[in-house]
Amino acid sequence: MLIIPRPLLKQIHKHMEETYPHECCGLIIGTTGDKKAVELFRPCRNLNNERAADRYELDPKDMLLTQREFEEGPWDIIGIYHSHPDHPSKPSQFDTDRAWPGYSYIIGSVNNGSVEKLQSWELNESERKFYEEPLDIQEEE
Amino acid sequence: MSINVKIPSPLRGLTGGQAEVPVEAETVDEALKQVSVEFSGFGEKVLDEGGQVRRFINIYVNEDNIKDRDDLGTAIQAGDTISILPSIAGGA
Repeated sequence: MLIIPRPLLKQIHKHMEETYPHECCGLIIGTTGDKKAVELFRPCRNLNNERAADRYELDPKDMLLTQREFEEGPWDIIGIYHSHPDHPSKPSQFDTDRAWPGYSYIIGSVNNGSVEKLQSWELNESERKFYEEPLDIQEEE
Repeated sequence: MSINVKIPSPLRGLTGGQAEVPVEAETVDEALKQVSVEFSGFGEKVLDEGGQVRRFINIYVNEDNIKDRDDLGTAIQAGDTISILPSIAGGA
């Protein structure tokens, strides 16, 4: 279960829609342990310019800066989000091949510029297979 | 000299949960080998059979990717930080 506040989800949608028809990517930051919850996110650059419509490569410099930003706590990088323009919000074989265990992978399906579906996935490393991680969307108070 | 190696969360299961491992080393290669000796399984995740950095790993010394310096032979100085970063990529 991945807990995410609705306002954050809306901002991630916005990033996915603004970058359409290209894939976007970013890091999600939060807590793990008893409760896996997203506290904030950092949009990152997609370095894959040649196939930006169906590939992303998150700029390692953005990863470095974000890791540094939170090395003293209280949160940590807990996952990645990226968009699938005009494709389902399911991990592709390429996503699976390049995935890391322990991270949540949020994928948004963006059709004609609008996010239609968004799902979160976790890798089972021994099977090298993704399983859906239910999203618990916290409504605004 | 003493420097710190920063471990990303997907690899902390191999370092007993430690996010930072202090080592005494003169080069990145020496530093990684020390971490590998201390923590079983770490070396195989970061380095390939030929002893080179695996394709889906990036290693930085302070702000610099070691690919832009001397790769594993990159010299380190007291107070430097080595950051191991998972390479994040995918697509539809």
